[in-house]
Amino acid sequence: MCVPSVSLLHALGYTELLLCVVALCVLVAKKQWRDYAALGLFLAVRISSDVILTGVHSASGHLIEGHLAYRIYFYVYWISFAVESVLALLIVYSVFRLAMEPLKGLQTLGMLVFKWAAGISVAVALGSAVTPDMTGTKYIMDAISQLQRTQSILTLCLLLFVTFAIRPMGLSYSSRIFGVSLGLGIMSTNDLVQSAWLVFNPNLATTYSVINGVVICTILATWTAYFALPEPKRRMIVLPTTSPFLRWNQISQALGDSPGFVAIGGVPPELFAPAELEVMRRASLKMVTPFPSASERIHVAPAPLPERIRAFSLKIYS
Amino acid sequence: MKFIVRSFVVALALTGAIASSYAKAPSAAATVKVAKTSAMPVPRCPPSQPGDCGMSQW
Repeated sequence: MCVPSVSLLHALGYTELLLCVVALCVLVAKKQWRDYAALGLFLAVRISSDVILTGVHSASGHLIEGHLAYRIYFYVYWISFAVESVLALLIVYSVFRLAMEPLKGLQTLGMLVFKWAAGISVAVALGSAVTPDMTGTKYIMDAISQLQRTQSILTLCLLLFVTFAIRPMGLSYSSRIFGVSLGLGIMSTNDLVQSAWLVFNPNLATTYSVINGVVICTILATWTAYFALPEPKRRMIVLPTTSPFLRWNQISQALGDSPGFVAIGGVPPELFAPAELEVMRRASLKMVTPFPSASERIHVAPAPLPERIRAFSLKIYS
Repeated sequence: MKFIVRSFVVALALTGAIASSYAKAPSAAATVKVAKTSAMPVPRCPPSQPGDCGMSQW
């Protein structure tokens, strides 16, 4: 590795650490922890891992024996990577939840789908890393690779959704929801490009580390700016009554409700009180159109008794 | 503004999709490696290997 690259990487490493701390402080200072807890945890894990990795790297060969230092570095790096991948999934989940806040029905349905998709993705990532010649180290690296790829694709899907549905949801491109999604989207694209790059240029991994450093610093600066600047208020959402968003939201809200029960047939006349029958008789006399014949009669589920009596009374006294 | 942002996001998604298809090519299956988006050097040697994997030169 050439000296300028090493110096540049060290500088980028320290800048990354500094920006992580600043982003976390701004997030907490702006009282956004409740909404963006996953992002806060992501930054906290990144800060902890960067501090340990930098410390171990600096102490290697002096305070800690070289091989032991490498082992610590290896495990801290890959375990923190796995934790960050899972937290990135949680960030995507929380961003979706916040974006869909006004449409509760679709939010619930979307979160349910997301939970299943994320759960299956994690299970597939862990399962597909199992190979006959696997070792512990290889398993960790393969599982993390799969998890990262899945998380990147999910993140890009979310970013596309947020970008194109941002106006119907009352948000703007200055909203924090968009800022966080954009940062995650850039990170995901970078991860996917990096995977392809390393396949064809495995000897140029160091060059990509510099690109990685620049990309993460850009992302952290973006997040810091979005959290530091005042967020525009969410606009009132006005949807046409024919909007599919509205329809699907109503349908989704009704899903999962405990059902009511209606009598649809076999209702004997004895069930009706004499007064009720009298009211019905008078009402039918006042009707302009005659009662349908038995063959024309359609079985309609009767409304609850008090409502029926009230309806007929209103008709009679009007 | 809207057009620029949307174009940028679509470009990001397309780049990711193309890169993903390259990384999944059969010839690449054995060599796919990942690294987190960070300036920290990536440890690629197995920890059981003797030595510090050139860590002192990073």
